[in-house]
Amino acid sequence: MKKIGIFGLALRNLRRKLVRTVILLVTVAVVTGTLLGATAFITGMRNALKIGTYRLGADVLVVPEKNEAQAKSALLAGEPTTFYMDRSILEKVQKIEGVKKATAQLFIKPTSFTCCYNVDAFLIAFDPATDFTITPWLEKRLKKPLADDEIVTGSSLPVIAGDTLPFFGTPFTVAGTMEPTGMKFFDQSVFMTMKAAYEMAANSKTKSMQPLELQKDSISAVLVQVQEGFTPERAAIRIEHDVDGVKAIASDEVISTVRRQLGGLLKGIVAISLIVWILALLMMGFAFYMIVNERQRELGLLRAMGARRDQIFGLIMTEAMFLSLAGGVTGIAVGSGLLYTFKDLIMRGLKLPYLLPSVFVLLELVAGALLFAILTGVLSSLLPAAAASRMEPYEAIRKGE
Amino acid sequence: MGSELRKDMPVLQVTDLSKDYMIDDQRLKAVDNVSFTADRGEMISIVGHSGSGKTTLLSLIGGLTKPDRGRVLIDGTDLWALDDRKRSELRSRRVSFIYQFSSLIPTLTALENIILPTTFGDFSADVEQYARELLGIVGLEDKARSYPSHLSGGQQRRIAIARAFINNPEIVLADEPTGDLDEETEQQIIALFKRMNGEKKVTFIIVTHNREIADRTSRQMRMSNGVLVAQEQGNHL
Repeated sequence: MKKIGIFGLALRNLRRKLVRTVILLVTVAVVTGTLLGATAFITGMRNALKIGTYRLGADVLVVPEKNEAQAKSALLAGEPTTFYMDRSILEKVQKIEGVKKATAQLFIKPTSFTCCYNVDAFLIAFDPATDFTITPWLEKRLKKPLADDEIVTGSSLPVIAGDTLPFFGTPFTVAGTMEPTGMKFFDQSVFMTMKAAYEMAANSKTKSMQPLELQKDSISAVLVQVQEGFTPERAAIRIEHDVDGVKAIASDEVISTVRRQLGGLLKGIVAISLIVWILALLMMGFAFYMIVNERQRELGLLRAMGARRDQIFGLIMTEAMFLSLAGGVTGIAVGSGLLYTFKDLIMRGLKLPYLLPSVFVLLELVAGALLFAILTGVLSSLLPAAAASRMEPYEAIRKGE
Repeated sequence: MGSELRKDMPVLQVTDLSKDYMIDDQRLKAVDNVSFTADRGEMISIVGHSGSGKTTLLSLIGGLTKPDRGRVLIDGTDLWALDDRKRSELRSRRVSFIYQFSSLIPTLTALENIILPTTFGDFSADVEQYARELLGIVGLEDKARSYPSHLSGGQQRRIAIARAFINNPEIVLADEPTGDLDEETEQQIIALFKRMNGEKKVTFIIVTHNREIADRTSRQMRMSNGVLVAQEQGNHL
């Protein structure tokens, strides 16, 4: 048998009052789980926002003035919508100083009769000739241009390549599916060419129970890429000034809108996390004061056996560290499980974009949460451990009697 | 200082040792100007009424509480001139305590309790064999894996005594080591002390109310109100 060691002694001490140890462990687990959940949510939302705005691929989105709210709702919450403006807007926008590229898109909200799925699909038609937003990643995914009888679907739609989907009476072949972005606007969308959309509308009069009223020169939005030296905000102001009846939404504005939406939620999450943490710190600190107090004589005896002050300090800290580590690991396991299980449910309720962070980022968050758990243990036991180490051995033995 | 000289000198020198306590704004002299020396292998008993300062004196000698005045020299080293770390190390290697109360750690087995002091000092990694030997000496070799809660008061005291010898101390400070024990166990413990004293030349300083134990020590000292009032070699003060 080797020496007991400070670690072995600390473990035995923790086993002594198992109920108290379990309560403290659960406390750390709740704190760590809350922290991991909060950071994973925040990171996931930011992730979705980043990828979503990147996927949008445009610096400015021009929509009819009266439909600004619908456009933002479509972008941020993926709410399917339909609104139109005249194609001449595209030509006007293309001529404005600072506009490098401009392309039109059509947003079509399918009726319930047109699709057999429960998911709210959102049709987005683009012009392959001028498009600079969707085509690059469609080509990357499909390796060929999208035909007029083909569609590409977002990751949330339960279809696979080769399936046939009818919209307004016109069947389309699924050419491929997209990777998830966390934004419903993309994940629940069905992409088709502008030509296909017009033909679908024309054919709907005879093929569909609910025809699609779409004029040949109608578009829903103009997507703009600005020239170097121009900011999206500046270009947006110029567009609104030069073109009547439109609202130009800069991509930064989209992000700031989401940030505003997230702001309240984040404050709530941070406040709750902080309260939980402070409560845990107080609870653990109190528990360790109790531990030190009830073990006064024992600690005095250890000193009488030759234990140094730093060894007594180390003993209490080891107990706290072990509790924190075990609680942290438990919190991370349970927190991750709950987050993964209820992710969709929560995000549906929040109506905010969310994309699960990558494994690497998740590992970073887990490591961060674990460090935080250890910090909780260290901070809560620092003063009791210092007090224990400073006790005069004789007084400790006498008071503990 | 050479080892020859060290063997000749007293293992313990206590000089003008004093410790006061403030109780209700009144200064109480717990230990008042106590001086004595102890030779290697000597067995000394300290007797006196409750509150006469015996336990405080023992704690001062063992470096558990700081004296207000005076010096404690163990093998010529001034205990209170050392910093806490060095004093702890000295305690770990040269001094052991035995208490009247149950001083075993409840979460450790008898064997682990005996080994425990080696956690805090520089001892050889495998101390089990010696711990088992000590268990044999105190007659509890079959209780190695027993926890204190499964041992009688007398057995617990014997484990504590075995633990006091794991570090091969030069001085054992025992505070009422047979208090609360039946006569048979008391006799076993006294015999144990005698054996350790004889075999290992350990110096014992035993605080006791027990006349029989005091009679069996080589020197008796009596304390009253913190003052060492009498010393006598052999039996009876």
